[in-house]
Amino acid sequence: MKFNVFFIICMLYSNIGFSQDELLSLLDDKSSEYSKYIFKGTKVVNSASVEMPDAGVLQFMIQHRFGTLNSGFYNFYGLDNSQVRMSFDYGLNDRLSVGIGRSSSLKAIDSNIKYRLIRQSKGAQTFPLTICVSSSIVFKQYLTSNSENNNFLFSNQFSYSHQILLARKVNRQISFQLSPTLIHYNLLPIDQLVHDLYSLGYGARYKISNRISLNIETFSQFNSGNNINPLSFGVDIQTGGHVFQFHLSNSAFMIDRAFIHETYDLWSEGSIYFGFNISRVFTLKD
Amino acid sequence: MIKNLLPLLLLCSINCFSQKYISNDGEITFFSYAPIEDIKAVNKKVSAVYNSADDNIVFQLNINDFNFRKKLMQTHFNENYLESDLYPQSTFIGKVIALEGNKAKVKGMLTIHGVTKEIEADGTLLKNNESVEILSEFKVNLVDYNISIPTIVMYKIAEEILINIEIELNYSQ
Repeated sequence: MKFNVFFIICMLYSNIGFSQDELLSLLDDKSSEYSKYIFKGTKVVNSASVEMPDAGVLQFMIQHRFGTLNSGFYNFYGLDNSQVRMSFDYGLNDRLSVGIGRSSSLKAIDSNIKYRLIRQSKGAQTFPLTICVSSSIVFKQYLTSNSENNNFLFSNQFSYSHQILLARKVNRQISFQLSPTLIHYNLLPIDQLVHDLYSLGYGARYKISNRISLNIETFSQFNSGNNINPLSFGVDIQTGGHVFQFHLSNSAFMIDRAFIHETYDLWSEGSIYFGFNISRVFTLKD
Repeated sequence: MIKNLLPLLLLCSINCFSQKYISNDGEITFFSYAPIEDIKAVNKKVSAVYNSADDNIVFQLNINDFNFRKKLMQTHFNENYLESDLYPQSTFIGKVIALEGNKAKVKGMLTIHGVTKEIEADGTLLKNNESVEILSEFKVNLVDYNISIPTIVMYKIAEEILINIEIELNYSQ
């Protein structure tokens, strides 16, 4: 009997003690939680990341690449030679974004579309990766003298790039990305033998503070006539309304086909390009 | 044996008498009034439970459910200020300590950004047959919750944030 009374008193107390927590347990969130902000920018360094502008947001990006660091004082270590790619990217909805860009030295206009298939999530629905598909068309302008050639076709000026972007945010500091890539050239560069070139991109970031992350990116080419792979390092700095990205790379280019398959410079020779991206976002639609 | 079980049964019945009101779509809005830019964000997925039997009240929300007009602000809010990956939720666990007519005073522990502080707030508590409506407005100091705003953007974000609560809870079970 004594035990019973004791037991009941205990029960009673526990009932009072836990009542607030009990209320809280009624609210237990059963929805799944997405891993967001896998990378700071829409690019790891040169290649596309799984990030895209939010719905209704227009992102204007200016990408600069200077000449090689080993080009001597006469060229002010590369700073005299600069080339630009300007681009606009717009988020149509939470999953889809479209963009258009223009590269100065390549005389190329590119337009791209990125679609997010699934997001890394935990909770009710768990999925280990964020997966996007990204495609772009590049229109490289040739001079009129080229087009006077009898063999010249209008379609020669096009090339295409298709990527599957597989990314995982391991923890709040570290994210990885794999990007299987297919590039199709209508007109082959001189050192290539096939129209369809396969490559695999590797990207990663390490966040050293809430606002700064270090990025690395490289591609390995599988059936290319050029065996020099791009290797790039970047620092992303997030400020109020901008993301600044500073890079060192052995490629000077900013569109997929060019930095993956048309890189001829070597880190070992000091042919390193310094560059930076500035992006600014504008909210067009709520 | 039955005598022994009686208090237990009684206890169960007390439990059943508890009057719980629940909501999963409450609204909490916060405002930061600053010279350059007023910032406002709304969370429309706030959960709340109120037990009218013992006046206990609990709120819970996910930090990344706050919607900003400017999405970049939302990114900064989650990534830099509230660090929603580390502290995904904010909760309030408290009690209605005074209720005169519709005017209520609530006291309890508010957890934001992993920091728990005792707060007291005035509000309105409207009891209807099937529902309870809760309205309140109070201020929160960012410093109290270890939310650091870098000096470079200080002028953009007020140090004191106004929080507005509007929740209608429905009777459950």
